[in-house]
Amino acid sequence: MATINLVDLKKNYGPVPAVKGINLSVADGELIVLVGPSGCGKSTLLRMVAGLESVTSGRIEIGGRDVVRAEPAERDIAMVFQNYALYPHMSVRQNLEYGLKNRGTPREEIDRRVREAADILEIGPMLDRKPRQLSGGQRQRVAMGRAIVREPAAFLFDEPLSNLDAKLRVQMRVEIRKLQRRLKTTSLYVTHDQLEAMTLADRLVVMNGGLVEQIGTPVEVYDRPATLFVAGFIGSPPMNLISVEGLASAGQSLPLPRGTDIVGIRPDELTLDAPAGAHVALPGTVELLEPIGGESHLHVMLGNGQTVILSVPGRPDIAEGAAVTVHAEHAQMHPFSKETGRRTDAVANP
Amino acid sequence: MQTKRTIFPNKLLPYLLLTPQLAVTLIFFIWPAAQAVKSSFEREDPFGFRTTFIWFENYTRLFSEATYLNSVGKTALFAISVTLLSMSLSLLLAVAVNRVLRTNRLYTTLLVWPYAVAPVVVGILWWFMFNPSIGIAPYLMRGLGIDWNHRIDGTDAMLLVIMAASWKQISYNFLFFVAGLQSVPQSLTEAAAIDGAGPFKRFWTIVFPLLSPTTFFLLIVNINYAMFDTFGIIDATTSGGPAQATNILVYKVYADGFLGLNIGSSAAQSVVLMLIVIALTAVQFRFVERRVQY
Repeated sequence: MATINLVDLKKNYGPVPAVKGINLSVADGELIVLVGPSGCGKSTLLRMVAGLESVTSGRIEIGGRDVVRAEPAERDIAMVFQNYALYPHMSVRQNLEYGLKNRGTPREEIDRRVREAADILEIGPMLDRKPRQLSGGQRQRVAMGRAIVREPAAFLFDEPLSNLDAKLRVQMRVEIRKLQRRLKTTSLYVTHDQLEAMTLADRLVVMNGGLVEQIGTPVEVYDRPATLFVAGFIGSPPMNLISVEGLASAGQSLPLPRGTDIVGIRPDELTLDAPAGAHVALPGTVELLEPIGGESHLHVMLGNGQTVILSVPGRPDIAEGAAVTVHAEHAQMHPFSKETGRRTDAVANP
Repeated sequence: MQTKRTIFPNKLLPYLLLTPQLAVTLIFFIWPAAQAVKSSFEREDPFGFRTTFIWFENYTRLFSEATYLNSVGKTALFAISVTLLSMSLSLLLAVAVNRVLRTNRLYTTLLVWPYAVAPVVVGILWWFMFNPSIGIAPYLMRGLGIDWNHRIDGTDAMLLVIMAASWKQISYNFLFFVAGLQSVPQSLTEAAAIDGAGPFKRFWTIVFPLLSPTTFFLLIVNINYAMFDTFGIIDATTSGGPAQATNILVYKVYADGFLGLNIGSSAAQSVVLMLIVIALTAVQFRFVERRVQY
């Protein structure tokens, strides 16, 4: 149980900056997901918190204590690695006990905690097996178990589900969420999978190029992306970003904040039928129709040559090549400035 | 397992293609080995005119002979010392190099050089350095009050051959240990660090156990090396002396057979060595092939 504070945290590899000054406060018991494309510095940030990477400048506080100079072992954290990092020559039980034994925990206490963790994760029958005798999902559980038995101040997850197949990933995602709710342990979770990020996080930290683009709850980030990058990164299919000139060339004008030259519209906010409120209408041709079950994705090329994606329910009876008009309500538009990359209708948060 | 199979239309051709290798094996390995086994059951008169078949007398005599039993003891001492010394030093060097990130290629290259030196040259090198009359090492040691003379002192002689033989083998062990260390995933030591294990504990509880296949392989190779490949080093430094102090089994075969001209006993000794090699090879195949399990 602890808070984590990152103050102006920076990391350079030689002359190359990897993390360029991060400020973040994690409340006690909160699950924060760091999400971003590969190379954005999210893993480096996590490893700095773990003490596996040195810090170039800035402060890391865990439970109010500055730990920048502390060894990983002294930080009272547990980490779940992408490749699980289970000790292959030890049985599952020995894997779970290792950290406790190193800390001189009494035998009865070790047994109790291992039994509890095994119950929670349902790995009791596997305690005497070696990691290589386990499936991917089971190894993942053991890796979680190794973190749980320590009863640390914070959990650090480094893309823990990326080695699992799609079905298992969904299942483990749900379990991690339940487990974290139950244990109420402060957690930092790194992933590049935005679906994982959206479903797990209490708050999301969207990172790009070593900087934080936006911090907020998943709903906040989805509903009001602070920057063009976040708008394009969160959401699948991604938000359509249409230049204001494109709108103007289609003969559409609308009230926009000063400095807006790009508007973003979510694929499911674009409609073929005209909506009730004030809206714009853009003529185009259907390039591609992708039925994906309950909904379909419609790729429409607008008059200015730009393609937008509509997400429409069911399977619309439209042929590829047909001429359609795409409608978007004014209220659903996100105005951005191309130059600053930020929203123009509000003071963006970070 | 899928194998590539070539079908020869001519029945004779495959045998013809095998002939050179078979000839080499038969002439240089099987035939001399058979001769050694045959001679080990015979006694030859001093002038080589007459040989008598004497069953196991060479062997029974061998094992009641004090010098032979002494040689067995010296060999055990020598082999164990060389194996432990060269393996522990090379592991230490490998761990050190593995920690250095930028210059480790340079260190690796430098540390591999001794392996390219021929055993006899190694022997001469150390003989020079430790030569009681002209060597630098005894000169320095005299300054420290140590009197070194491997020509007179059996212990000094044994130390010298152990040092020389270990030095040459360090390179080989080092390469294998470096490769072994690099195959231990970084994340395991990181996980252990988070689990509260200090560097020393991490090494002994995580890295070393994971190195065990490499260590076991090297153990067998080093025993083999110390027992059979060190002839050149012994010959160039001590020639088995003083007073049998460094007369290891493989050197004694040569000394008794070619210098002492006791062909029967020498042959019996080489048959004993052959059995040891066979046993070591069997162990190696049995366990190294299967790998030390973890």
